[in-house]
Amino acid sequence: MSLEEFKNRNVGEQSYRMLDLEHTPETGLGKFGQVAKRTVKGELFVGLWVTLREMKNALFGGKMHTIKYPLEKLPISPRYRAIHDMLRLLESGHYRCIGCGLCEKICISDCIKMDTRYDENQRKEVSEYTINFGRCIFCGYCAEVCPELAIVHGGRYETASEQRASFSLFEDMLTPIDALKQQKEFDGFGAVSPNADENIKKTPLAY
Amino acid sequence: MDATVLPEVTSLGVVIKAIIILTIISAIAGFGTYIERKILAFMQRRLGPTHVGPFGLLQIAADGIKLFTQEDIIPQNANKLIFQIAPAITAATAFIALASVPVFPDFIIPEFIPILGGTFVPSIAADINVGILFVLGMMAAGLYGPLLAGMAQANKWGIIGSARTAIQFLSYEVVTGLSILAPIMLVGSLSLVDFNEYQAGEFTEWLIWQQPVAFVLFLIAGFAETNRTPFDLLEHEAEVISGYATEYSGMRWGMFFIGEYANMITVAILASVMFLGGYNDLGFIAGWFIIILKISFFFFLMLWVRASWPHIRPDQLMWLCWKVLMPLALVNILITAIVMMI
Amino acid sequence: MYEQIAFYLFSVLTIGLFLVTVLTKNILYAMTSLAGGMVFISGFFFLLEADFLGVVQLIVYVGAVMALYAFAMMFFDATRDIKENTTSNYLVFFLGGMIALMLVIIFIAPIMGDNIQSMYPPIEGAGNAQSVGLVLFTKYLVPFEVAALMLLVAMISGIILAGKKMDNSLTTQEDIIIEKEEIIK
Repeated sequence: MSLEEFKNRNVGEQSYRMLDLEHTPETGLGKFGQVAKRTVKGELFVGLWVTLREMKNALFGGKMHTIKYPLEKLPISPRYRAIHDMLRLLESGHYRCIGCGLCEKICISDCIKMDTRYDENQRKEVSEYTINFGRCIFCGYCAEVCPELAIVHGGRYETASEQRASFSLFEDMLTPIDALKQQKEFDGFGAVSPNADENIKKTPLAY
Repeated sequence: MDATVLPEVTSLGVVIKAIIILTIISAIAGFGTYIERKILAFMQRRLGPTHVGPFGLLQIAADGIKLFTQEDIIPQNANKLIFQIAPAITAATAFIALASVPVFPDFIIPEFIPILGGTFVPSIAADINVGILFVLGMMAAGLYGPLLAGMAQANKWGIIGSARTAIQFLSYEVVTGLSILAPIMLVGSLSLVDFNEYQAGEFTEWLIWQQPVAFVLFLIAGFAETNRTPFDLLEHEAEVISGYATEYSGMRWGMFFIGEYANMITVAILASVMFLGGYNDLGFIAGWFIIILKISFFFFLMLWVRASWPHIRPDQLMWLCWKVLMPLALVNILITAIVMMI
Repeated sequence: MYEQIAFYLFSVLTIGLFLVTVLTKNILYAMTSLAGGMVFISGFFFLLEADFLGVVQLIVYVGAVMALYAFAMMFFDATRDIKENTTSNYLVFFLGGMIALMLVIIFIAPIMGDNIQSMYPPIEGAGNAQSVGLVLFTKYLVPFEVAALMLLVAMISGIILAGKKMDNSLTTQEDIIIEKEEIIK
């Protein structure tokens, strides 16, 4: 069965095959006949052959299923909702968060705490930003509500650590400045529209 | 077997043999758990133990450390004495059964070893002329391990497990006994050595060609008596948690398993010697090597079957024993007897 | 030398275990020691070089009879002591001991009186099983066959007793009908 077929949940469209179940024999002779037939038919050997074939495939066909987890990792979906990432602006490298506080407001498990202040240029800057991962339920509301696409869910699913604080600081979640090139943008809701460049107009201050 | 007269069997030789059997079979039993894990894993396209040592070989040592250092828990309401000796019964009967089967080739200890030099170590520790019956008797006595363990632990899963033990072992002893009766009639002896000599020569002489039904029946009953998969109702996790072993931990639990693996080896040796030509040379292959191959094959078969086939229900177990296997064995004996008389 | 040591060891163990069977109030102890005693009795047969009988003792008494006892014992709570209502333990002990002593004297007396010879000395060259078979199928043929017949009768009556309600399935008729309909669907 291919993956598409498997993912098709519309009941009735699949080409199911009915098993030809035998009726349970009623008479003693019928039961005897069934036993005799099953004994001679060698269905048990089919079962033995199946496991042996799989063993052959695994050992010599290179079809071993095991992922040696800490050494090998399966790729996870970009939609996976694990530990949050704080993104940076691609051009300037400055973090995107504008300190609006929407994520703090919407967080249903009340785990985001942030504090802002004005810096020397009278710009709002995020002075404190922590997510308590003991409480976070990874619902994704913060990422959804963020107007700047600043907070998104990332792929760091290995969340065991000696201290909870290991993930929860702003600096830990922020994309490292040298890894800016690897920061990925996805199309869709909230993303920059494809014709964003055409829509840019110079602000009146520039005149 | 060549016609040279074997040296006299001394009691020292027998003691050495007993020690060899105890140590080596215990080690093989431990190694068997590793082999079982690996083969079951491969058949499910997994890797099995890989991290402890090269290819996970030291997993046995890790298991041993775990079993020895685990806390030995005795439940509050259990009958403490019986609870404590029950695993020893399983292990002991399994090893006593090995006393009367040929385990390793006989050899003479080299002269340069100080005290033991020149001692003849026989292939069979106790070469009694009713070897097959002795093995069956000891395996019959082996049912007391699970039985008493289940009854002593004041646990309903244990009681169900021990009830199943009693039913299963009693029923399948009948099949084992009846199935090997036909080959015994052909050979005319209860000694495993006579069985071996009867099948000397080409592999067309093997008893499996004369007694295929008896071979299959013995194999099925052997699976049931060693508590292997299609018949492992005594400790079927999905039904009775762990049956008689529910309350056990640590080395006492481990002893049940050493006993089970030793029993598997015993059944494998019995099947190889009785039906597959024993330790006779086959063509250019030496006898000691071919018997190891045969035993390994039966051991592998047990694991293979465990990976392939589902359990059966208790009522199916009884149905199979009393309505299928026992009549078949009786018919087999009758036909053998008629053919022999003619 | 070895045989004497083995004999005394087995005797002490057998008598001790059977004493435990009689004296204990715990079902499990009684059962275990009875089974253990049976195993050690088979040791005597091995000492007398009657391997076949020893093995038969193991298979029949230890493997089958005792296991049936054990199966019956599962209807009791095996972890608790049972209450006995004997009025005088000493009297029971004394009478039991006396009866045992009397039995021993009855069996020992002829052996001590005149050296009895075995009526069927073991045949030279014949194995253990063969000698037993020879005696069974010549001198004791009729008792042997009668015993076989009795066992057959017992087996058939057992099957009839157990099989009376075999036709009554535990599944109700409705369940069977529902099951059939599901299969037809």
